[in-house]
Amino acid sequence: METTAQTSISLRDPAQVMRLSRLGSLHQCRLSFMRILTRRMARENWSFSRPKFDIDENGVGVAVFSATGPARTYSLIAFAHDLPPEMRSDRVIATAWDATFALFDGVPTDEDIERLSKNVPYQEAGRVSEREISVSRANRSVRLWEHVVSALSEGRQPDATQLDAVGYLMRTTAVYGSGKLGAADREMIAERPEFQVPFQAEMLSVFLTRWFVRDLVQHMADLRAKAAGRAAAQLDPELARSLGIGNSTGLGMAPFLLNHPVLFNNWISAREDAIRIVRSLDSASEDEIALFLRLLQRSKRNVALWQSEHEIQVRKLAGLRNDLEQIDAYLSTPQVLAGPQPWDQMHRWAEEALSLEGQEWLASMMLEPYGSLIDDLSDGMAADNTPTFRIAGAMTIEELRGLLTRIYEWAIGTDWQKRENRARAWYVSEEKLEPRLGERFEEPVEEYEQPLAPGRDAAALFNALAHWQGEIRVAEFLLRHPEYRHTVRRAQIAGRAPYAEIRDNTISHDVLPIDMLRCKLAFFGATQFDPRSDRWVRICMYGNAPYPQELSQENAEFWVYPRLEEGALA
Amino acid sequence: MNHSLNEIEAMCKRAARGAGLSWGLAEEAAKGTRWLSSFGFPGAELLAALLELNDRLPPADFAPSALTGVWSAPSGRMSPLIAGAALSDCAVQLMDAGRIEMERVCVPLLLVPFAAGAALRLETPVAVEWAGVYLATDGRQLCARGAPDAYTAMLADKVAFSTPAEMTDRREPVLRGSAPAEAWDRLGVLAHRTYAPATEASRLRGAGAGLSDND
Repeated sequence: METTAQTSISLRDPAQVMRLSRLGSLHQCRLSFMRILTRRMARENWSFSRPKFDIDENGVGVAVFSATGPARTYSLIAFAHDLPPEMRSDRVIATAWDATFALFDGVPTDEDIERLSKNVPYQEAGRVSEREISVSRANRSVRLWEHVVSALSEGRQPDATQLDAVGYLMRTTAVYGSGKLGAADREMIAERPEFQVPFQAEMLSVFLTRWFVRDLVQHMADLRAKAAGRAAAQLDPELARSLGIGNSTGLGMAPFLLNHPVLFNNWISAREDAIRIVRSLDSASEDEIALFLRLLQRSKRNVALWQSEHEIQVRKLAGLRNDLEQIDAYLSTPQVLAGPQPWDQMHRWAEEALSLEGQEWLASMMLEPYGSLIDDLSDGMAADNTPTFRIAGAMTIEELRGLLTRIYEWAIGTDWQKRENRARAWYVSEEKLEPRLGERFEEPVEEYEQPLAPGRDAAALFNALAHWQGEIRVAEFLLRHPEYRHTVRRAQIAGRAPYAEIRDNTISHDVLPIDMLRCKLAFFGATQFDPRSDRWVRICMYGNAPYPQELSQENAEFWVYPRLEEGALA
Repeated sequence: MNHSLNEIEAMCKRAARGAGLSWGLAEEAAKGTRWLSSFGFPGAELLAALLELNDRLPPADFAPSALTGVWSAPSGRMSPLIAGAALSDCAVQLMDAGRIEMERVCVPLLLVPFAAGAALRLETPVAVEWAGVYLATDGRQLCARGAPDAYTAMLADKVAFSTPAEMTDRREPVLRGSAPAEAWDRLGVLAHRTYAPATEASRLRGAGAGLSDND
């Protein structure tokens, strides 16, 4: 008889998880910030209203959308603009947009709207106050926007294939929170239960933005039809739900993960803990297996719709589609999930058989039936940096060497004299402070380099320590070498927070910043990653989600997975 | 002008780096100024004055010569950022000895956030004293006794840190800061040195766009 003793499952090794290629293959899961938000709003029965919609025939004006939870109301103030096409740019350096937004703490008065109308449309060139929680902007998908307005205004529905091909009518190009441009600091709202989890305010802003966009496109179609003496068609609710909000993200997001190591650790740690918990289960019930298989089929539709012209993503998508066939074959084995520790068995199989895209896709899917076991992990995803900022100066040089050897083994073994290993340098441009990645040996950027190469810096620290006596305290070393203060701090943080540090070279000649963007966006809950270059990615947020008024306990959980056609397994 | 604390921290970090401090010390300067601002002290103005005074000079000249006895710097005007960071690193030593003294420290108020860091680490209030000033903190709240002018002294002959310290009253931090436009601009001048000049090549290559967004 087989032993039934449970083997304990460990967390995955940071050296395996924290590689850029794997981080750049992450997918949304139950612990993604959009899903945490919709789950909460449905559970708490939030209500939504549109107290103002004042937009003229040129598409210029202002609208207000409010969301009310148990204790507070938040309002998205949307300014709609008439943007000349030549000014439409997703870059940070843009100066005008199709629409600009602020998330307001409460319900704005006319004076608030008046004040914000003189600032929000200018974004970085304006100022907001502590009453505002986020500031953002969005541009139209020009082709899809015109298609939808003209179809509706002519009394017909837009073409579903064209909607699927783009996935959104507007894409945000920045959502600023955490005190940017004078807005409320994170600390002002972090104690509120609804904003305790990271990025909930920003996700709320985008959720309301999607509602604004649907209402605006309908409004523009109505006005065009009226001018022609017709009545416009109402956008079909199913088609409307298929549309998310796009987002176009550049390099600004990449340094975030490096600059917030404790926060990053807490995100990865929550997901890894969830994976460990599910892998540790002795068995799976029939209901759990059925839910998993049903959502797997629905999730495959997202993969089918996922389009990209970028060669890297094209290759990864081909791998993922091949993985899906292998997963089907694996799951068609009779009783494959009926044995002991079925999820661990599947996970181990996946590690051998699938690409990184497929492994992480399956790992996220595996968590779906187990909300009651893992959803509370979201409580640990925020971070207070205060306790980890101070350096433990009483640590000895020997202990610091041990830490470096453990965390930065790959970096200590890298030849940093080779140009290819330090070909790039991260810097900030004086143009609107846009973060950029330059060629160290071809451009005059090195003197402006940001501290975003932790591997190189840790290896340099390790070498600098070589001739120091082991029992000396770090405080003495730092007194003589303040240039290593940043790196000692990082090493000590990573010593306590195992998933704090990316275990890869962030300045090599072949680094792909999109891996960092993808990782962060996956935690937001984004889908349809579509790189436009090695440092620029478009995504979709809230695709298939219910609109605010439709949100209920029934649809708040699994909206990210499109419903299947009638007759198909659903 | 009214600022978020995050804006104050970001500006101070860049300004400190622009004035030649290492990234690690620039981070300390920024966190410290944020902390002082949250208690209503003119952190940004004081930091601007200090950074201009020691602009791009060698840090060793303003660092404690040794972390024993009374700490002093060879220049005779110790940097509160370098000395403060070392004090925070020596929190355990402070606990063991009960007291650490320093001589001739510039802008001593900028030392106080480091006492707060040490207090958090030790879970015991730490006091900082110089002529006319007694400040004690557990890291979260502040007890401040002194004349307004004494807080903003440009040089203190003697500074003493001690723990455990008594907090006879407790001031709570606020979540908004302010900095006069003039000080903000001075920090901005230093911060600007950390930004690479815009060139057409970097505009196109550095951020990787170049595809049309009109689609």
